[in-house]
Amino acid sequence: MYAYQLENNPYPSSPTPTEKDARILGGKRHKEAKSAILECIKELYNKVGGRDSNDGDFRIITLIQDVGSGKTHLALHIKNLQSRHNTVCTFLDLSTISPKTIPSLYNAIVKGFENDFFIHLRTKLVEYIQDRAEQGDNSAKKALDYSFMNKLSGLTIKQKAEEIISGKASVSVENIKKFLVQWFNYYESNLIQNILTNSFDTVTNLEELLGMMAAISKLTHRFLSKIVLYEIDEFDGNPDSIEFIKGIINAHLPASVVLLISTPSGYAEIQGKSPSVFDRLEKANYKIDLVGSNSQEELLEIVLEYIKHNDKKGKFTQKTQDELDEKIRVLYDEFPEFRSVRSIINILYHAMEKSSELDLEKIDEIAIDETIKHTYPGLKVRGSIMAVPISDFISIRKTCEDESTGTQLKKAVTNLVNFAHEMGNIGKLEKQNQPLDVVYQDPYGSKIGIAVVINENHAKNFEEISNISKSSALVDKLVILTNSNLPSSESTIIVNVDKSKMVDLLYFNNRYADHKIGSSDNEKVRMLARTVNII
Amino acid sequence: MSEKVFDRITSAGLIGIKKVELKKTFGKNCDNILQKLIDEKQIFVEKKGVAYFVWTRDNYISYLSQNDPKCKIVLSVAMGKSHLEAKVKEYDNNIGDIVNKTSQQNVANQVSDFKVEFDRRLTESSTSIGWAPFSDIRKKICESKKISSENFYSMATELVERHREKYEVSSGGQEGIIMRGLVHGYVRNV
Repeated sequence: MYAYQLENNPYPSSPTPTEKDARILGGKRHKEAKSAILECIKELYNKVGGRDSNDGDFRIITLIQDVGSGKTHLALHIKNLQSRHNTVCTFLDLSTISPKTIPSLYNAIVKGFENDFFIHLRTKLVEYIQDRAEQGDNSAKKALDYSFMNKLSGLTIKQKAEEIISGKASVSVENIKKFLVQWFNYYESNLIQNILTNSFDTVTNLEELLGMMAAISKLTHRFLSKIVLYEIDEFDGNPDSIEFIKGIINAHLPASVVLLISTPSGYAEIQGKSPSVFDRLEKANYKIDLVGSNSQEELLEIVLEYIKHNDKKGKFTQKTQDELDEKIRVLYDEFPEFRSVRSIINILYHAMEKSSELDLEKIDEIAIDETIKHTYPGLKVRGSIMAVPISDFISIRKTCEDESTGTQLKKAVTNLVNFAHEMGNIGKLEKQNQPLDVVYQDPYGSKIGIAVVINENHAKNFEEISNISKSSALVDKLVILTNSNLPSSESTIIVNVDKSKMVDLLYFNNRYADHKIGSSDNEKVRMLARTVNII
Repeated sequence: MSEKVFDRITSAGLIGIKKVELKKTFGKNCDNILQKLIDEKQIFVEKKGVAYFVWTRDNYISYLSQNDPKCKIVLSVAMGKSHLEAKVKEYDNNIGDIVNKTSQQNVANQVSDFKVEFDRRLTESSTSIGWAPFSDIRKKICESKKISSENFYSMATELVERHREKYEVSSGGQEGIIMRGLVHGYVRNV
């Protein structure tokens, strides 16, 4: 059993998505992009409905975003929806085709369709020939290999066609050609023969390839009343890819939408290598913008969507969602490594596995810490002097905005001064003198006062700092630790305490209070004391 | 009781506290305690106008050093070596503070200028989808601002990190900022 009582790990583990993984689509930006693509499909479908398609019924969509941002996932998700949107779809990953020859590209396009597509098209084509044969077209009867003997034995044309559809009989290869040339163009005839005989010829040049693609689109529209969506992934500056895409764009495939997927660097390569293709892409009908696809909010929505989708028992309550939300926000803020859909999904896949292994009810700090140790062994909290473990970092970091943080930090600074005194780094401690939090003497006998001013409201900070500064005459040196970004003045040294320093201080305080500061920590603590001007 | 009285006097700081207030708070016994503290030279009492004010020893010296010019001179002569050292250190710190303050202001101005220039060059260099190569922006800014390539990328990294919600970067290219161990050579405004 996994966390949140899930029976399976909801997160995919493969570095690139599969069609199965792409059934779930989360995130506002990704959903908006999906709507835009479906809108384009719908617009074209409505336009070509009830008439023959022509070369004006062609649309180009570009989808350009960084690696790991969910472009392929979105494309595969759309492919999964094809039956619901009067579309047939082929997915072509150019990075998997090498060398990018014309036969290999055609082969990949054909294989990119679902098997059902060709079965349905074959059925419709046989029914069309059957229809013609029943109307008395002799060449159609011959194409179905419907003989005089068949008629004598009582076999009807319809029964013969059904036998062909079910595979019990086959068309007459010789006669089908003669029939098709009367009604279809060269490429359509070839394609229909290939479909009826379940054997696809190879194509040898770009003209043939484009002719066959146009035939697929035209026949799909005519016999299935659907439009074809060609999804072409990993389009970049490769000369063969550019030539292929340029051909497709110029061919104006009827009743077709071409979705071109690339990265900004791939797009720049195309710009450098083929200004004419670049210009065509710049004029694409739709430019799908996944802007903000790696933003914190987007990643959170995506991550939570996987669990919500698999939460059959309703254990993923709002409270548990919020808890997970907090942890992911910390990961996002502090580790640039986890600022892409792919990397955060990867972490959560492993954290989920860890939750199963440790029998955890939810993904907690420990599961994330263990995961990061194993999956990203070199990862450390940036700027942490105390080498705070990631699990402690996550739990302390999320309390940094609590109201009690100021009080906690005052204690931490007092304990840090005590520690420095124990280590002999400072002279004698003096009695606390309001509004200062700690007063002590440095080794030269100068009196040092420290005040901690931490408030969410920075105006309040300025007011407090201004009041405390009046006490500078009480000491030889006044140090104010604050979360506001202020310059030091003539009488007061201001130390800016950022989140990372706060976590270090609070972590030190916890360990000091629990008597867990070992000799190996001494140097780190000294360093911390130096950064806040205690020594 | 004696400690409480002393704490109250301490908390009054440099202004001192009226003897009458102490009596109101701690009652008639207060007089004896104050006398004891005076004998121990822990506190000082002085008449200001019609009222008697009480300070702790340290606060009284600080009060005098700020308000009485004669005392200032006497103190500066009478104070020992350690105080002079502390004062020298304080001046040192003050000079350091002024230098820091000036340099902080300069840095703040530089960062703000860089952002304006960066945004302008980004708009100039981007394609219809908004992405622009860092290299194009770098060439223009290094030329106009007379800064090195290293300086440019250091400031660009900080800018992008500080305004994560405003910029998006993308991997690839020959040069750019390094994130997650990858060269990110493209940037755009969100």
